[in-house]
Amino acid sequence: MNAKRIGTITAAIVLFAAAAAFAARVGLAAPDFVATDSNGQSHHLADYHGKFVVLEWHNNSCPYTQKHYQSGNMENLQREWTARGVIWFTVISSAPGEQGYVTAAQENDYMRQIHAAPTAALLDPDGRLGRLYDAKTTPHMFVINPEGVLIYDGAIDDRPTTDVSDISGATNYVSQALTEAMAGKPVSVATTRPYGCSVKYSH
Amino acid sequence: MTMAFPKTMLGAAWRRTACAAALAVLAICGVREIRAQSPGPPHVDVGLVSDQTAVRPGQTLWVGLQFQLPSGWHIYWINPGDSGEPPKIQWNLPPGFRAGDFLWPYPQRIEAPSIVDYGYANGVVLLAPITAPADLPQHGSVTLGGAVRYLVCREICVPAKANVQLVLPVAAHGGSAASSAASASNASVHALFEQTKQRVPQPAPAAWSARARSAGNEFILSLRIGKPAPQVQFFPLDADVIENSAPQDVRSTAAGIEIHLRKSDQLLKPIARMRGVVVLSGRGAYSVDAPVTQ
Repeated sequence: MNAKRIGTITAAIVLFAAAAAFAARVGLAAPDFVATDSNGQSHHLADYHGKFVVLEWHNNSCPYTQKHYQSGNMENLQREWTARGVIWFTVISSAPGEQGYVTAAQENDYMRQIHAAPTAALLDPDGRLGRLYDAKTTPHMFVINPEGVLIYDGAIDDRPTTDVSDISGATNYVSQALTEAMAGKPVSVATTRPYGCSVKYSH
Repeated sequence: MTMAFPKTMLGAAWRRTACAAALAVLAICGVREIRAQSPGPPHVDVGLVSDQTAVRPGQTLWVGLQFQLPSGWHIYWINPGDSGEPPKIQWNLPPGFRAGDFLWPYPQRIEAPSIVDYGYANGVVLLAPITAPADLPQHGSVTLGGAVRYLVCREICVPAKANVQLVLPVAAHGGSAASSAASASNASVHALFEQTKQRVPQPAPAAWSARARSAGNEFILSLRIGKPAPQVQFFPLDADVIENSAPQDVRSTAAGIEIHLRKSDQLLKPIARMRGVVVLSGRGAYSVDAPVTQ
């Protein structure tokens, strides 16, 4: 192994170690990560520099998640924004045995049935990615800009209920942040209290 | 994921078996069922109670919205904490009646991995003042009702609804109390109301001189409570002010205590006031509304 490769590997380890020490904080670089999706593919956040990235914490049995999926709201957002070049990762951090835990095959089946359209579903059963971002609820939404800065952290919208009828009148914070940032404007609401079921990390 | 304790292993093993069985059933029922239906709600008793047996024109009476939950489940306080939703009622009252805001007994901390919520394990009574119109006809009875929506959780959450109602006779204004002959059930509601009122925070005594200051990544809430209490817990009324999952460091001072409260990651601007409930073990719960110096 040559010196340059050792240097790169050392730098990568330092990067991940440093990233782990910082909470995800709006205005700062979003913590870098490598995660595997439901098709076995690896995704490295740094590879998506130059694009907006949305992280959507998910639990298919949580009534708040179901509000946004059974209404088609989340699927529509995924389709609308990926069509505009946004990378959308659904993240499942439920530990095995906990509510919302899914195998890769189950997640792929679920996404097919409900016509979900994220770029990929990242499987995080050991909760590493969830804890890196301090994901608290499902849903909990993060938006990262093309420079790798976290520009939104919080609730999907301003109606923290399980009621589908609360979707149409709600302000969708993810769409608002993406629209403003794409127009070169500052994000007017950068952080809100996320609402949903607690993420089912291992105890 | 490490699993070191037999109790945890038993729980997880049960859950894995239950999940495997559920998946087997889903496989038989067809792929469409993998959309994981919400489980039905646990059996929760929700009802309206009053310790008064009649309503009088122009009178304000206290009505209790009572939740009784099976063991292990909880509902949420007015500030639910990191996740959850407090119960809400849409009152359905006769013409001229008005309902005021609930009084909330102080909550408990409910801890889960990486989050802390505030709520009530096993049940609670929320007290609401209901005022009858002065021109209420002094005969017959009235029905006080409401549509309640609430979230009841254990490790999973179930949104639920209940319709509640209480029928009370109308008694003459100034007439003798119909409640003078205390029935057994009235005595038990009266006891329930007394217990509940003891858990509703009292205003903090002026002598406490409650003050808070912002100091780096924490707030320090100072209270001149006199002799220190063995246990002190602060419950914030406003979301996104303190980090709910951070331990609260309570230190004795000459005249009382200082509670060190880690700031929330979501607190972006200075706040002018720190509002919440301070619970002193053995001494009760007090509402605090302290100015914050930066």
